[in-house]
Amino acid sequence: MKLSIRIILIILAAFISAASVLTPSFAQKRLGVFSHNTRAHRDGKYSNCDACHTVPTKNWTAARADKHEPFPDVANFPYHTSCFGCHTRDIYSNGGAFCGTCHVVPTMRASGGRGVLAFPIKSHPRQFTTIFPHDVHQNLIALNLIKLDVAVAHFVPASFGPNVPDDATEFNNCAICHKSSSQMPKVTARVPALLQPLAPASVETFAPKPEFFKDAPNSHASCFTCHYQNVKPGAKDCAGCHSLSAPYAVSNVLPRYSLKFNHQDKDHANKDCTTCHVRITQNSDVRKMKDADVAFQTCSTSSCHGSNLTEEIGKREASINAKQPAFQCTYCHTPAIGRYQVPSSHRIR
Amino acid sequence: MFILRVALLIFLLASIGPVRFAAQAKGALDVQGKGLKIDGKSGAVSRKRFYLFKGGLKDNQELVARLRSAEIKSRDCFYNQLQASSQYICWLKADNCESPFCRSVTATDVGEVPEFQVAYKKGLTQFKGLETIARDWITTNMPPALVSGYYRDRRTLTERLLSGIVPIQSTMTDSVTIKAIFIDVPLEIPGGKKTGTFLLSNILPIEFGTKSYLWACEVEIGPDKPAVFSLKLPENNKPVKNCEVFIRDLQVCKTESCRAK
Repeated sequence: MKLSIRIILIILAAFISAASVLTPSFAQKRLGVFSHNTRAHRDGKYSNCDACHTVPTKNWTAARADKHEPFPDVANFPYHTSCFGCHTRDIYSNGGAFCGTCHVVPTMRASGGRGVLAFPIKSHPRQFTTIFPHDVHQNLIALNLIKLDVAVAHFVPASFGPNVPDDATEFNNCAICHKSSSQMPKVTARVPALLQPLAPASVETFAPKPEFFKDAPNSHASCFTCHYQNVKPGAKDCAGCHSLSAPYAVSNVLPRYSLKFNHQDKDHANKDCTTCHVRITQNSDVRKMKDADVAFQTCSTSSCHGSNLTEEIGKREASINAKQPAFQCTYCHTPAIGRYQVPSSHRIR
Repeated sequence: MFILRVALLIFLLASIGPVRFAAQAKGALDVQGKGLKIDGKSGAVSRKRFYLFKGGLKDNQELVARLRSAEIKSRDCFYNQLQASSQYICWLKADNCESPFCRSVTATDVGEVPEFQVAYKKGLTQFKGLETIARDWITTNMPPALVSGYYRDRRTLTERLLSGIVPIQSTMTDSVTIKAIFIDVPLEIPGGKKTGTFLLSNILPIEFGTKSYLWACEVEIGPDKPAVFSLKLPENNKPVKNCEVFIRDLQVCKTESCRAK
């Protein structure tokens, strides 16, 4: 055997033996992601979420990691009694790796209430999907036009960006949960699944701004305003809104067909959200929303954009008929999308 | 025999083909309420739900009959029966609200409406003296019947009126353009026609002023461009074409008069 191979083998053997002797780091000692979907956690006495989770937790008045004003919430892991019913032995084995599920220091000496990881652990895959019927919520929030000069006390208002016109109207429905973004989110072109590009994408020069986008609830803040108690599902009925699912990662990248749409343009901000989001009042389950809920015709039949859209579609058809390079639509789309075939949704206008 | 079977199969497939194509066609309906004025005021149908059913007035005559004869409890009477305070009823009336979710509850409202006052005080105790939470979450400390009871009552009424009929779609008007847009409406167009026939109705009477309004109208939807339908009221005792419009006086229950907004 060649000398070099022998040396490599010796180094490898030394590395393996060292790894087996060295104390594992705290991170290595953790058991991994807690699963709500094991039989013991899913069935029997632990099938009720409140067998482990307390609402609110004792620490709810403490400053929150998500910068929300403190509100009664599930802001911490379940207390020891929830785990020790079955896992008493686990804390004495494997160097306390079990403790590392919740505690910063994975050892049985970890002190309760202190040295706990931030709850919920954002890096972990989600184990629940959210049940949210937009239609019911739209039904309940009936007449709801309010001017900004009226005290807004009931709901967290949208934090409008600097381009808000002076006569901005706040619509007390969608803005309860969906506020204007103050920071630029990660965005990407949403490529139409069944269509073919007719030309290579040209250089992208358009840069959307934060106020183009709205955010979505990422905590209980907007839900508990009404659902904390009395209105079902209440805060203690976790399964009323959360449905156990296969673990999935949440992407923070927003896919968009039309990256040029500015929610805060003065002629958009003065519209009720449902003027364009026409499918939203029909939606009974947020999980079933697969496509954009803004129908093309809400823009194409409007006096503002109808002629521009008709003109662009006409130019596209003309370029194809003349066997010239396909005209790329730029009025709404960036080059990543504007080069694709015209979808059937754009035919009714 | 085999050849005959194959020929029969081809014939069957050929006859199914066009029907399947027709079922896949889709249309759109644009319901317009901006031009509708009641007692000189517009906005009566702002943020109201409309339903679309397969078939016209004749096909849905049982439903229309139920809509015609339905006994409707007015919003005032509903809250009166719950013994809500006149201040609470007036607070709802001020913005034509059906529930306390319709607009913000201000500090002034808390001072003026007994239901809000009681809930706010409960909230202060429960939420460790945090005034913002006590006020922002005020509905969580109100009796459920006063909060979502009217909605539940309307839902029960809707179910009773529909009696198992499933609408193709339902959607709401917005508060600015006062339009309700139905999109991707599946069309089944009979031979010789260019459009499909549908019934449009709000099912739940819309209260406005001293009356309630309910439309059941036949609309035609084709595949080429969105159909446009404007909501109208009968004028000079002349019925609205292809529509049954039910206008009823609202049930009156004893209510103290409300201060002008």
